[in-house]
Amino acid sequence: MLAQPTQKVFATVTKRPYICQLCLGRTRLQPLGTGHSYAPALSRALQTASNPPKDDVPYRKLLKDAMRKKRKEDRETSAPSKKPRKGKDPRLDKWELTVGIEIHAELNTARKLFSSAATSTNETPNTHVALFDTAFPGSQPRFQKETLVPALRAALALNCEIQQKSSFDRKHYFYQDQPAGYQITQYYEPFARDGHVTLYPHDFPSGVSPGDGPITIGIKQVQMEQDTAKTVQQPPSTHLLDFNRVSHPLIEIITLPQIHNPSTAAACVRKIQTILKTVNAVTAGMEIGGLRADVNVSVRERNSGSTQSGHSYHGVTGLSQRTEIKNLASVKAVEDAVVAERDRQIEILENGGVVEGETRGWTLGSKTTKRLRGKEGEIDYRYMPDPDIAPVIIGQDVIKHLRDTLPVPSDGYVKTLVDSTEYRLTSKDANTLLLLDDGDRLDYYLDVVQLLKATFSGNQRILDRVGKVAGNWVLMELGGLFRDEEWSPSRVSSDQLASIIAHLLRKQITGRTAKLLLSMKFESDTRSVEKIIADEDMILRPLSRQEYLDMASKLLEEKSDMVKDITDKGQHHKIKWFVGQMMARGTEGTVEPGTADVVLRELLGLPP
Amino acid sequence: MSGLQHVKSCLSNQKKWSHLKAFISLHDPTKLRVDAERDCDYHAPHHMYPYWRLIAIKDNICTKDLLTTTASRILKDFKSPYDATVVEQLRDAGFIVAGKTNMDEFGMGSHSVHSFFGSVKQEGLNGEELSAGGSSGGSAVAVKTGQCFAALGTDTGGSVRLPAAYTGVVGFKPSYGLLSRWGVIAYANSFDTVGIFGADVDETYSIFETLDRHDPKDPTSLPPSTRTRIRSLVACRGYQPRWRIGIPLEYNIAELDPIVRSTWLKSLRLLQSKGHTLHPVSLPTTRHALSAYYILAPAEASSNLAKYDGVRFGTRADGPDGTPESVLFAKTRGQGFGVEVKRRILLGAFSLSADSIDNYFIQAQKIRRLVQREFDNVFSLPNPLLEESDSFAEVDVEKGVDVLICPTAPTLPPPLSSLRDQSPLDAYMNDVFTVPASLAGLPAVSVPVQHIKEDSSPTLGEHVGIQVIGQYGHDTLVMNVARDLEDAVCEDADRTGFEVGPL
Repeated sequence: MLAQPTQKVFATVTKRPYICQLCLGRTRLQPLGTGHSYAPALSRALQTASNPPKDDVPYRKLLKDAMRKKRKEDRETSAPSKKPRKGKDPRLDKWELTVGIEIHAELNTARKLFSSAATSTNETPNTHVALFDTAFPGSQPRFQKETLVPALRAALALNCEIQQKSSFDRKHYFYQDQPAGYQITQYYEPFARDGHVTLYPHDFPSGVSPGDGPITIGIKQVQMEQDTAKTVQQPPSTHLLDFNRVSHPLIEIITLPQIHNPSTAAACVRKIQTILKTVNAVTAGMEIGGLRADVNVSVRERNSGSTQSGHSYHGVTGLSQRTEIKNLASVKAVEDAVVAERDRQIEILENGGVVEGETRGWTLGSKTTKRLRGKEGEIDYRYMPDPDIAPVIIGQDVIKHLRDTLPVPSDGYVKTLVDSTEYRLTSKDANTLLLLDDGDRLDYYLDVVQLLKATFSGNQRILDRVGKVAGNWVLMELGGLFRDEEWSPSRVSSDQLASIIAHLLRKQITGRTAKLLLSMKFESDTRSVEKIIADEDMILRPLSRQEYLDMASKLLEEKSDMVKDITDKGQHHKIKWFVGQMMARGTEGTVEPGTADVVLRELLGLPP
Repeated sequence: MSGLQHVKSCLSNQKKWSHLKAFISLHDPTKLRVDAERDCDYHAPHHMYPYWRLIAIKDNICTKDLLTTTASRILKDFKSPYDATVVEQLRDAGFIVAGKTNMDEFGMGSHSVHSFFGSVKQEGLNGEELSAGGSSGGSAVAVKTGQCFAALGTDTGGSVRLPAAYTGVVGFKPSYGLLSRWGVIAYANSFDTVGIFGADVDETYSIFETLDRHDPKDPTSLPPSTRTRIRSLVACRGYQPRWRIGIPLEYNIAELDPIVRSTWLKSLRLLQSKGHTLHPVSLPTTRHALSAYYILAPAEASSNLAKYDGVRFGTRADGPDGTPESVLFAKTRGQGFGVEVKRRILLGAFSLSADSIDNYFIQAQKIRRLVQREFDNVFSLPNPLLEESDSFAEVDVEKGVDVLICPTAPTLPPPLSSLRDQSPLDAYMNDVFTVPASLAGLPAVSVPVQHIKEDSSPTLGEHVGIQVIGQYGHDTLVMNVARDLEDAVCEDADRTGFEVGPL
């Protein structure tokens, strides 16, 4: 018979796919958390390569929670006190923000960094683990040189200089998800240095960059390192460990502190993310834990003479005391955390205080950063060259080959998608298309546009709208249907979507019908779009002249005072209001504004 | 001796000498005997060496059938899911693992007294309890007392050679990287070397030949290409019956026991009488070697032992661990490690800390490189790991020496009772002659030479370990010189009328 609490544990865990019964037995005999709290969130953030504390909570849920919290707070603070958000904070004219970013990204590799165990994301816990990954006594690392390929592609795409010789070091700290008691990283000799990333206006959601031109951010170095195990929390006090993720190869990208705007920080992270995806270096986007960022934030007074503040980071001098915010798991979190920390530091400085060098945390949806530990709590990592791992020597031939076969940076694509009359997408949509599904979504979009262009060749008025409309349907309408499912270009083939859009653009069907058609195709209706329209009698029947006349005269009767304004006072522009009313009253999409205008003028006895 | 006779003799010796605590765990003797009888009978007409030879394995080398504790409380229940490569190689060759030998916890110590399972002992000529040397003391005593045919140990700063010298057996530390370390629980990776104990040079060498293979699982295992290059260098040098023997002058320290000094001189004379030539050489950096070793080895140890926190590895302390002021593993590590291990973890953590690394760890690494260069300068053979060693044209065999001969330890084995009053520093001093070869990764062997009291009636005295050190990769040369020394000692004993041999 199982004791009551044990049954509870079982009940919780049986909802999960699989958990090693041996481990479970151990947690039953020896509860790891013994009642006292050692603050997992706090300790978790002591390291760089790690997830936010709630490892097993889906990102979307975090977002939802944050939204809900924000809404609640807004309600509580009540509407009148709504801040004049749009107005620029005058304090920003006095104080200059400086930000440096460290980005950790999971490399897209078949094997772990130091063993031949396979990498995995959603496999049964603890099934892809070699002896060395769990630091078995007597086991030794075996560097998997294939993991260098995506790392080198990333570094080359970030314009770095690849170092002929690099080496691995041990970074010591204790945590339950770190079986060796140290993380193997590249501290003394990273494999890539001195790169940069350039942010163009199209890299900003608004399409405008602060300062209006391209911004170049220096990359100090790129290093390879191991990921940690994943902690699966079983409240109240059980922590299960999944070692599948341990030693998954990561790269850490360290930028120079050359960012002076929160939106630039966000754009920089998004841009690096896009670049890594484009060159096929990383596994996933930031949102599913594949990418994590730490930001270093400081604030200094403008025009105060740079010698006054004596800090220098990565060779950039004249900076003020910085703080570090760890474990930001989304682009939005980066921007919000930088804003919050900037404002907090300005507040301190304006009140004559001193910013302390400390490590801070940020949770999605919160308004301020939280202190995790100060300088006195700083860990001495005791970096030591790993005596079991030989230096990595990279030949020029390898670098040349990878450079020659590197996919073109996405900047060209984005520029085309935004600027070309064929597409006319917003930079946000263009970037999203590039990021999704390894470029499959972009291919699909381009197919749809090609088909529509063929259909409407010669019809310049429609051709001008094709790119934008197709973008909307691929991203919003079809994207919405795929929200909870994996993308597949064959679910609704590109020619079928093009057909739906073409019918819509020709006004043969209404928007609502088009959406219905799309979801029918999505739910695998095998009939062609044309056949469905025919079978279900969906085609939009144009109104007869008589129907137009009936509708118009009824409307004019109802609003006789407005008719007077038009006929007596000559306020002809009010006809537009009547046109609008007719469109709203008629079945969706049936009333043509042009025809309505003609009919109305006719009835009112006005010249066309 | 047939396989069966050998097994029976070992089993009876294991019973007889169990109070010396050479073993931490042993195979069930009854089962071993039954298996041996059945097996040896069946294969009797065909069986060949080393079929059914018992071999003892130091308890920091992983075996899947017996616990691997490293003589530590923190690993007292650890059972490895796999065999170390060297154990696998021995089993494949027909050896039988007799048991796991006692040692200093994690290999840290020079007398095999820092064991959770009690001190290893040996008995002196007049019956007193003496140090067996460390850290592989259990393996040395097991070979010395005939509890096995041979034994594996590990040598980080002298842990095979020192106990060999104290107990009077042959103890060989091959060049770093020749024998696989996969499955050897790390103390200090860049020094750790699997070593071999045998009753004589030939038996020791035969086991070395079994294990001298590249292992892809060990990233520091010398790759086949380098092994081939070394072989061709050795062939190029050719065999010659006369060796140039170096006498490192700085090793004649004031603390050297007179008996050790006279045995050293006697060994040199014996080799000279066999036609080898003697040459004084100077190794001035050697006096810094010990300090460098005791910075570097604890630094690596503090890192290697970080994994024993009771989460994945290590026996967890009873009750809740960690208080709001301390950490989750404080009690576990506090209880699990012995005093010497704790001392070295602290030393290592200190010398790697941000404020000290430049003054300690980095300086010590520089000394390590200087020691290696100094050895390269006195040997006539080039270091095959260095690139310029490829060309042999300019090597002048009349310059430099082929091997160095020096004592293994400055004193005879001290009584266990005297150790209690010793400071840790006194114990570290025992490694002064063994550490330089460890810093440079050179092959070195300790050969027992019996001291003869040459007063009015010559009587048998104690064993003194004499060390032969050679250039990197020239393990065979080192063992050849060791065999010459062994032969010369035997001939000398015959001449003076004493029988010399194991036991």
